[in-house]
Amino acid sequence: METPPVGLWEEAAQRFFKNKLAVVCLVIICIYSALAILTWLGLVATDYSVTSADSYAPPSKLHLFGTDIFGRDVLLRTIQGIRIAISIGLVTSLIAIPIGVFLGALAGYFGGRVDELIVWFYTTMDSIPDLLKIIALTFVLGRGLMSVYISIGFTTWVNLCRLVRGEFLKHKTRDYVHAASALGAGHLRKMFVHILPNVFHIILINFSSRFILGIKTEVVLSYLGLGVEPGQPSWGIMIDDAKLELARGVWWQLAAATFAMFFLVLAFYILTDALREALDPKLRNKT
Amino acid sequence: MLAYVVRRTLYVIPVVLGVTLITFILFNIVGGNPVYQKLGKHGSEAEIKILSHEMGLDLPLSQQYFFYLKQCVTFDFGRSWSTNQEISSMISAGIGPSLSLAVPAFATSVLLSIFIALGLAFFRNSIIDRVMVVTSLAGISISLLVYIIFFQYFLSYKLGLFPISGYDSTWSGRWEYLLLPGIIWVITSLGNEVLLYRTIILDEIFQDYVRTARAKGLSEKMVLFKHVLKNAMIPIITNVVLEIPFLYTGSLLLENFFGIPGLGGMTVQALANSDFPVIKTMTYVGSLLYVLFNLLSDLSYAFVDPRIELD
Amino acid sequence: MKKNLKTLFIFSLTSLALISCSNNKGDSRYENYVHEAIIANVKGFDPVASGEDLYSGIVMGQIYESLLQYNYLERPTHAEPNLADGMPKISNDGTTYTFKIKKGVYFHDDPCFKETNGKGRELEASDFIYSWKRTADPKTHSDTFWIFDGKVKGMNEWRDEASKAGVTDYSKPIEGLTALDKYTLQIKLKKPAPLFIYFMTMTGSVALPHEVAETYGPELQNHPVGTGPYKFRSWTRNAEVILDRNPNYREAYYPSKGEESDKAAGLLNDAGKKLPLNDGVIFTEVVEDQPRWLNFRKGIYDWINIPKDNFDSTVKNGELVDEFKNQGVVLTKWVDPDLTFDGFNMEDPLVGKNKYLRQAMSMAIDTNELIEKFYNGRAIGAQGPIPPTLVGYDPKRIDPYRQYNLEKAKELLKKAGYPGGKGLPEIVYELNNGGTYRQMAEFFQQEQAKIGIKIRINMDTWPEFLEKIKVRKAQMYGLAWSADYPDAENYLQLFYSKNASPGPNNSNYNNPEFDKLYEKASVMLDSPERNKLYQRMADIVVEDCPYIFDVHRKPHVLTQGWFKNYKRNFIILNYIKYYRIDLAEKAALKKKL
Repeated sequence: METPPVGLWEEAAQRFFKNKLAVVCLVIICIYSALAILTWLGLVATDYSVTSADSYAPPSKLHLFGTDIFGRDVLLRTIQGIRIAISIGLVTSLIAIPIGVFLGALAGYFGGRVDELIVWFYTTMDSIPDLLKIIALTFVLGRGLMSVYISIGFTTWVNLCRLVRGEFLKHKTRDYVHAASALGAGHLRKMFVHILPNVFHIILINFSSRFILGIKTEVVLSYLGLGVEPGQPSWGIMIDDAKLELARGVWWQLAAATFAMFFLVLAFYILTDALREALDPKLRNKT
Repeated sequence: MLAYVVRRTLYVIPVVLGVTLITFILFNIVGGNPVYQKLGKHGSEAEIKILSHEMGLDLPLSQQYFFYLKQCVTFDFGRSWSTNQEISSMISAGIGPSLSLAVPAFATSVLLSIFIALGLAFFRNSIIDRVMVVTSLAGISISLLVYIIFFQYFLSYKLGLFPISGYDSTWSGRWEYLLLPGIIWVITSLGNEVLLYRTIILDEIFQDYVRTARAKGLSEKMVLFKHVLKNAMIPIITNVVLEIPFLYTGSLLLENFFGIPGLGGMTVQALANSDFPVIKTMTYVGSLLYVLFNLLSDLSYAFVDPRIELD
Repeated sequence: MKKNLKTLFIFSLTSLALISCSNNKGDSRYENYVHEAIIANVKGFDPVASGEDLYSGIVMGQIYESLLQYNYLERPTHAEPNLADGMPKISNDGTTYTFKIKKGVYFHDDPCFKETNGKGRELEASDFIYSWKRTADPKTHSDTFWIFDGKVKGMNEWRDEASKAGVTDYSKPIEGLTALDKYTLQIKLKKPAPLFIYFMTMTGSVALPHEVAETYGPELQNHPVGTGPYKFRSWTRNAEVILDRNPNYREAYYPSKGEESDKAAGLLNDAGKKLPLNDGVIFTEVVEDQPRWLNFRKGIYDWINIPKDNFDSTVKNGELVDEFKNQGVVLTKWVDPDLTFDGFNMEDPLVGKNKYLRQAMSMAIDTNELIEKFYNGRAIGAQGPIPPTLVGYDPKRIDPYRQYNLEKAKELLKKAGYPGGKGLPEIVYELNNGGTYRQMAEFFQQEQAKIGIKIRINMDTWPEFLEKIKVRKAQMYGLAWSADYPDAENYLQLFYSKNASPGPNNSNYNNPEFDKLYEKASVMLDSPERNKLYQRMADIVVEDCPYIFDVHRKPHVLTQGWFKNYKRNFIILNYIKYYRIDLAEKAALKKKL
């Protein structure tokens, strides 16, 4: 039985770690994630909602990034914002990736009617402008972080589905799959035990790029009033507040949220690109 | 060939039908009742019943769906729930401003991106290349909203270089208001496009025929512009064509912030007002454009590039 | 490479060329036009379809006219004749109003007047009857019908008949609306309604010609024709509305007397001059605060209510900072008849049935901090349902539950059965998304957290918000109410049980004692006896706390040095005609900006 090339992951890891910039980005992402976990556990930045009389105080030793309208420390709020940003990437992946992979696998593997139906479905979904899809869902589901998770998750699986379908189409005719059939493997086993591992690298790349999409979308949603509920410190809400504050010279909330977002998103961009280079250079044009 | 064209064209129909179905489910079934906003402060139960009936809200769902289908086919989308204006006239009023912003900005960013991408391909693997790539990525790591807020404050207010917002519907007057939003549009699209075109061009450069051309003694510049660019234009144009359907919404945020009365601004307003007929229409039209342009691109690809495998 | 560069170069040149010959509103044609920014998008100009929308109403107020208007200078303001020739004769039993219409008033010229080749027709009494029938026509779904609903004899019957028949017959008469002759209109009410005079000033009661409705149908909302001092020219959606002076406007003059302080303020300089005092008006729709503020600073808008985020840099210690004074800008301070509040749904099993809970929440809010943070100190803490400037307002009233007292609040919460907030489920607060509302809601959330109450905020679009309230699903909601007419009844009606959702009593408050007092007062003219009833009603509402009364807002307005005759009264909509632009001053001052 032909197994997937054993060397793929080792080779990829070698290529990846040679890219110093990518490694730096990975480290940055790990730091952010660690902060996210720590805040989620309530060990860090717990005073983010402590109000003080010091409204709109500029950056100082006490408040590195100043305070907002309620005297809350902007740096602490920004750190809390990491939790929301990372959680959006994680949760939307948990929703979108299974859908994309499942549908893509079904379509690529079975072909025929099943394939036609699924391709029709995702072509239709894809025709609808992304933002409008997400907005429509948040209308329907109501506001709040939960809706943001669900609406982004349920509308961004198409690309992954396409790629997975393509891979399954390619692989189902390969020798190792025929061999598996000969040994009596059923459809499910062939799909998920044999072919799927060959698709993991695509999933990984997609996972990485998902954070970028999620973080940027949350900002736009919060501006439109369709994002997280008031009271939650998300970067989108901080930027939304900023548009009024800038006129009175309060620049620190905008700066904090933008910088935090900038480093994380840039890190993910570089990481995603490096992953692509390492895992399958041929995919560069498609993902 | 003909069979492919016919099949591909006909495929548009089930996709568009699918779009109407999805938008119908999303907006009609779960959409909510517009009656209350029309009633104003002093509504009464009787009024609610009459208005609901007038708006066809008490009909069975299947009937409502067929009515919606009819609207989509005849391009008569009824009236906005919040302003009671005819949606088709709202759209024709909004297209002008949207395209006035989108077309010049898009054209500029595409041309500029190709130019820069070519340069980067020429200087590939040099410091310039790496720096530009990271700069492009950095550029798109900042939210569009931040660019808008910052530039409007800094360039329009502090430095007084541009009007803060507004619009002049005369042909000569409008450009002054579109300049800053246009600039922001270009800056925020450059990143993505430069990276994409650079990749496409680099892919071409590594092809065999390029090596052959170089072996024949052609200079790098000649290779780049005569051969590579020509061949890279195909995927680039495909990409450009696929971007075009999204122009019509202008940019939701840009129009909203700069007070440009285009389709994007109209959509944002409709969102704030739960104006589902407008949102539905914009979704439908957007999808229609996307499907049609996709068709166009697929068909032209098939004609132009004999290497393409016809499905 | 060269090809691309050339294209870019040509493109930039062309753009620059186009910009330099750009034609904007700095054009001399509009120098003598009032330029006003409105803070929300306008919906349309059919008084029947958009009559209740404040901003559409402002534009319509310049195009259409009603029988009566409010006096511009006197305070408290009162109704005076507009299209009516003198105040109406009211029968002794208070049910019959006879109005004489001014002669020689013409509608704007418009192609819809086919018989006169586009020249406007003369206004007659029957035009009012036609216009008012339009509000009653079930097909128009007018939101202004309430001013006649249940009041005018025969009107509800006419409306019901039209409903049943499915077709509206405008030729069928209404018993209570008759044109005794070309210039005399008689209205018969079912019972005396002292407030009816005020309704005759409202947008819902304006006169429009049947020709315009017959010619344009529903497109009338984009093509208004009235008798007002301004004619409609154009409307660029979500951008601006331009109105030109009506060259055929009747004889109307700037008032010659007002309040004592008016003369010194220069408000009588144009006494006796023929209206309108300017050549037209441009309304620009600017929803976002910042662009509006910045354009005012550039001299584009003639006046502005200072946005919250610009206040501190503009006004110091109650005085305008020098930078503005040097540019000729003038600061004026006003009080509006308005009330912001947090409403409870009295039908909600949790908050509606627990008076102590409501009172506790009311006492947990530091109103002074609210006013500092969100209104720059430009508001008064409300002590009851009746706001200032209205007949019935008592400046000495103290609401015991609107004092900031955390100890008392905690005590009340204990009395309510939730000591320290234990056992109290989360309370949901509905809010219309926009501007600073989110931050104000967060403030509310924080204040309630101080006594242990958890609040969840739902940001809704306006229609969602309305729907939740009107179907009585909202638990708590944040809203403001601005006066429609200068009588406290406009606020007290918010607590009348018969006005419950979908009517204006959004809290669904139901108190039989209050209802009795309300019905008694509704047929009384202004008098000390009626005022006593008003105060008793306010007392009841204060004790029961269906609203947490927040503030009455005090707008601080900046006017450009060249802009004359600004005198704010929220209720007056047809004010543009009184404004004058001093062109010489404008040219001089604009250089300084």
